[in-house]
Amino acid sequence: MLPYLLMLPALLLLVGMIYPFCLGVYYSLTSYFLQYPHLFRFIGLGNYLKMPGDPLFVYSVQFTLAYTAVAVLVQVSLGIGVALLLHGRIIGRGVLRAMMLMPLMMPPVITALMWKVMMASTKAGILNHLLGWVGLGPVNWLGSVNAAMVSVLIIDTWGNLPFVSLILLGGLQSLPYEPYEAAVVDGASGWDVLRYITLPLLKPFIILATTFRIMDSLRIFDVIYATTVGGPADATMNLHMRAFWHAFQWYSMGMGMAYAMVLLVLVFIASYVLMRYWRRAAAQAEL
Amino acid sequence: MSTPHGDRPRRSRRVMSVLRVSLLTLAAVVLVVWTVFPFFWILLTSLKQPLDVIAAPPKLVFEPTLDNYAGIFIGRQRGSYASARPDFPLFFLNSIIISGGAVLLSFLAGIPASFALARYRFRFKEQLAFLFMSFRFAPFIAFLIPLYILFQRTGLYNTYHGLIFAYQIIALPFTIWMLRSFFMEIPTEVEEAAKIDGCSWWGVMTRVILPLSLPGIAVTVILGFMFCWNAFNYPLMLAGRQTFPVTVGAIQFISYEQVLWGQMAAASLVAVLPQLILSLFVQKYIVRGLTMGAIR
Repeated sequence: MLPYLLMLPALLLLVGMIYPFCLGVYYSLTSYFLQYPHLFRFIGLGNYLKMPGDPLFVYSVQFTLAYTAVAVLVQVSLGIGVALLLHGRIIGRGVLRAMMLMPLMMPPVITALMWKVMMASTKAGILNHLLGWVGLGPVNWLGSVNAAMVSVLIIDTWGNLPFVSLILLGGLQSLPYEPYEAAVVDGASGWDVLRYITLPLLKPFIILATTFRIMDSLRIFDVIYATTVGGPADATMNLHMRAFWHAFQWYSMGMGMAYAMVLLVLVFIASYVLMRYWRRAAAQAEL
Repeated sequence: MSTPHGDRPRRSRRVMSVLRVSLLTLAAVVLVVWTVFPFFWILLTSLKQPLDVIAAPPKLVFEPTLDNYAGIFIGRQRGSYASARPDFPLFFLNSIIISGGAVLLSFLAGIPASFALARYRFRFKEQLAFLFMSFRFAPFIAFLIPLYILFQRTGLYNTYHGLIFAYQIIALPFTIWMLRSFFMEIPTEVEEAAKIDGCSWWGVMTRVILPLSLPGIAVTVILGFMFCWNAFNYPLMLAGRQTFPVTVGAIQFISYEQVLWGQMAAASLVAVLPQLILSLFVQKYIVRGLTMGAIR
C-alpha cells in the first residue's frame, strides 16, 4: 500500500496531464475549427484519411525524416571527433571542456535568435562578411529555400553538438585500458585502434546519444519557429511546425491534433526500436 | 614491425607528430571560435547603436552604448528607436515565478514518487516509470492544442497557475527520473541500520534519506529550474503579455514593422545569464540531467 500512497500526488498530476492528451486524441477525430464551433463534428478517421493525398503533409513527413537523418548523422560524427579531441592530450583541455558546457543549457529560442543576428542576409551580417573574406558571395541564410534548411541545421548543431560530445567523452573516459595495451603490443596503428577498439567499445554511448538526438530532431520546433517559422515557401515546415500551423494559424484544431498524433507515432516507433537496440548494446558491454 | 631504425623513418615520424599536433591545435581553435563567437557577437550587438547594428561591413570598433539595456529594463529610448517596448523586467520575474512554481510543485509530488520507484516493488512500477519518461520524448504540440482549448474555456489562459501546470509536463518527469537515479545510489543498508536503531519510517525518511540525498536534490532543483527556464512552446500559446517568460519575451523584439536587433541582443543575453551562472554549480550533472539520469 505504501508505494501507491507515495505515488499518489504524482499520479494525480499524471492524470491531469493525460486527460488533456486524451481530449486531444478525441479532437483529432473531429472537424474542430476554433472560429466555427458549429462545424464541430465527429468524423472518425477523416482527418487522417485526408493526409496521404495532401502534398503539404507528404512534404512535412519527408522533411522531418530527412532532416532527422542528416542532423543526427552530422551531429554524431562531429561529436565523435570532438570527443576524441577533448579526450586526447591537448593544451587547455579543461578550459575546452568547460567551454563546451556553455551552449548546452541555452534556451533553443535564444540560440536561434543569436544566430539570426549573425545570419543577416545583407552585407551587414557577420557570417556573410566572413564568407566575403574567402571570396564567397552573400548567402541569404534564412531567406532562400536551400540555405534555410542548412541554417536550421547549423543552429541546431551548435546547440546540441556539446551534448553528443560530452556523452561520448564520458564514454571514452570509462573505457578499459587492457584492449589498448594489447593493441600497442601488437603494433596496431592509430586508425586501427579507433576502428577496431574505440568505436566498438563506445557503441552503447553512441547509440544513447543517437537515440536522444533522433527523438529531439524529429520534433525540433523552437529553432525553426524563431528563425524561419517554417518558411521560406514552407521549406522548413516539419511535422511539428505544420501541426502548430494547422492549429494556431488556421485554427484547425482537429487537423493539428491529427498531425501531432502522426508525429507522436513516429517518435514512439523510433524510441521503441532504439531502446531495444540500446539495451542489447548495453547488455553486451555489461554496462 | 621490423623497420630498420635509420634516419628516414625517424624524421618522417617527427614530421608526422608535428603535423598531428598542429592539426589537433587547429581543430581545438576552430572548436573554440565556433562555440564562443556567437556569444561574443551577441554581446557586441547588444552594445551597439541601431545604425551600428545594420552597418555594412559589420563594425568591430564602435562607440559602445548601454542604451539597449536601458531600453529593455527601464524603457528609456532615444529618438527614432522608440517603439512599443516589451516589459522585460516583468518577463524575467514571470520566468522565475513560473519555473519556480513548477519546480516546487514537481518536488512535492516527485520526491515521494521517485523514492517509491527507487526502493519498492509494486505492480506496474516499470510501466509507470516509463509512462513518466515518455513525456520527455512526446512532441509538445500533442499537449499544447488541448491545453490551449481547455485554458481558454476555464480561464486558466494567461495565468500563473495555468502555466505552472503546463510546465509540469517538463518538470515532473525530469524530477522523478533524476531523483530516482540519486535515491538508487544510497545503499539500502543505511536504511536498514537506521530501522534497527529504532527509527520509524518517517524518521528514516527525514533523518537519513533526505539528508543523504540533499546534494542530489539540490542538483535536481537547479536543473529542473533551468529546463523550465528554457521552455518556449507552452508559454508561446498559453501565456499573454502579462505572463510571458523571457524566452517568449525575447522574440517580441521581432515584429512585422521592424526588428530591434540591439534590444533583442541585450534581452537574449539577460535571458541566458541565469543559465550560464547556474551551469557553473551543476557542471558535472548537466549531461546526467539531459539524459534524465541515464548517464551517470
